[in-house]
Amino acid sequence: MTETKRRDVMLGGAALAATLAAPVVARAQATDVAIIGFQMSSETHARAANAAAAAARAKGWDATVLNSEGALPRHAEQLDTLIGRRPKAIIVCMGKPVEAEAQFQRAKEAGVPVVTIMSGASTHTLFDIQVNEYKVGAEAALWLLGELGYQGNILTQRFEGNVGTRIRGKVLDVVLSENTGVRVLGTHTMARTASWRDDVRQGFQALLLRHGAQTQGIWASFDGQAFVIDDLLKARGVQKGRIKLVSIDGGAETYRRIADPDSTLMATVTIPFEEMGTRAVEAVERIVLKNEPKGAITSGPYLFMDAFLVDANNVRRFL
Amino acid sequence: MRGVLTRYGTALAGVVLFLAFAATAPVFLTMDNLALILKETAFLGILAIGFTLALVTAEIDLSVAEVASLAAVVTGALVHAGTAPWLAVAAGLAVGSVCGVANGVAVTVLKVPSLIATLGVAAIAKGLSFMLTQGVAFVGRWPSSFTGIARGTLAGVPNLVWLLGATSLAAWLLVKWTRTGAHLVATGEAEEAARLAGINTLGMKRLSLTLAGACAGLTAVLLASSLSSAAPAMANDHFLYAIAAVLLGMSMFEPGRPNIPGTLFAAFTLKVLGNGLVLLGAEYYWQDIVLGTIILVSVALSASGTGKAPFVKKLNFRR
Repeated sequence: MTETKRRDVMLGGAALAATLAAPVVARAQATDVAIIGFQMSSETHARAANAAAAAARAKGWDATVLNSEGALPRHAEQLDTLIGRRPKAIIVCMGKPVEAEAQFQRAKEAGVPVVTIMSGASTHTLFDIQVNEYKVGAEAALWLLGELGYQGNILTQRFEGNVGTRIRGKVLDVVLSENTGVRVLGTHTMARTASWRDDVRQGFQALLLRHGAQTQGIWASFDGQAFVIDDLLKARGVQKGRIKLVSIDGGAETYRRIADPDSTLMATVTIPFEEMGTRAVEAVERIVLKNEPKGAITSGPYLFMDAFLVDANNVRRFL
Repeated sequence: MRGVLTRYGTALAGVVLFLAFAATAPVFLTMDNLALILKETAFLGILAIGFTLALVTAEIDLSVAEVASLAAVVTGALVHAGTAPWLAVAAGLAVGSVCGVANGVAVTVLKVPSLIATLGVAAIAKGLSFMLTQGVAFVGRWPSSFTGIARGTLAGVPNLVWLLGATSLAAWLLVKWTRTGAHLVATGEAEEAARLAGINTLGMKRLSLTLAGACAGLTAVLLASSLSSAAPAMANDHFLYAIAAVLLGMSMFEPGRPNIPGTLFAAFTLKVLGNGLVLLGAEYYWQDIVLGTIILVSVALSASGTGKAPFVKKLNFRR
């Protein structure tokens, strides 16, 4: 090996070591918070996780964002690894505290506080930041029935694999059971999660072919599904208002479509995902760093946040 | 020197990676963390060993992850219903093995190329998983006689590590030290010559695919036992990693050939990588970038020695 090559190798090695060591040195000086997004390819998961990371970094903390890629084993593995790393706190967005109970329990036993967002309650976490999904479901269902004058036919697009969307669907069923003038002509339930857009497109296309002419309203369990349905309706030449399309989640694209006369999406119930991320970081600061009791933030297993309906009447405020 | 690099280059890269994390990542070298890495290696390792056994006979099993998910769902459903744990475990193993037999029959009797046959079985397994669960996971506080299979220890060593060791040893002994193993290898290396030499090549293919299914069944039981839950698609995250482990494994020890020690070491290296990056605080997207880079560099190094990338050399798409 020539002298130049040897020097290059040594410099390269030093650079690699410095790169690997840099986060460690930085972490030793900063508050270390880990944030897990269960499925970062889902917009809502990413919005909450990224907001939490941004809020933590704004405080000068060291924030690491991990992606469980929608896989429970990976979710559990990441929690296990983080428990070994002992961050000041773990924030889990749309996680699985029931399915991965052993890991959440281990975190509690190891003294690593966990705040969850839209994940469900657990005795092993400080609390879950949530909107009241029952209320959210009722808001969307009653808006749709109100628009229909409590008479007509609807199609529904559901997702049973998530507790929130499942509750929304059940609340819709309760509302429909009390308002028998509205009939469900057809339902498509999303089965796949990795290629869910394709799943919704195929399933709902079939529903529209069969029942499109008799349908006055469509209920979708989350906005991503509504976008796919909106595109299908537009391709069929349906004008805004001919079929009332409502869903739940909110966000820039949803507001744009509600305001857009060419889109058929008419309303959503907005969930403040970014604010949830920020509130999680604030909770960690108050409980972990300032030693405030958890009861000063919320007494129960949930910290509920407000969700509100956005339609043509108020959408301009969000554009 | 070049021969050593070709044979052990990837393994050496794995060792260097391990040492780099040991030097830079906090708590990486603690016993708890090393045990965690080994336990996590068990799930991936056993699944990948099954994939390796199929590949020994030049067949590719793309169904392992979906079959594992189905077997986990069946196991979980039985445990959830209060069935004796041993019976649930037997059912999980049986589901995996039956799916393996179905793959074998499709390939050897129906003459469907394994690439397509296993995709078909994967789709059926996925459909059955959703049919059994309706998308909702089986979750509960299951008896410790079941959860202890994956969470327990024997002589201070986690059961998962024992099971990984036993499975690896059995697979290695089968391939390297038995007549059946020699027939499996001969079938994969030169099918026509093996057939003319009197080897039941079709039987060997059925056996290898059945063993791949059985490994998927075992992975499933361990996943369900470890997580106390079972859901459709729960093992899917391991699929690409299992392929990566086999592929990396083929670039070491016996370059160009699927081999058990290579697969095992590669699975361990992949888990070291995931664990070390989390401990270093690397963002989630860096894990994918680093993983991809390591696969590319390892296979390129191996190909520079053998003249062709190992996976391509082994796979036989003709039929």
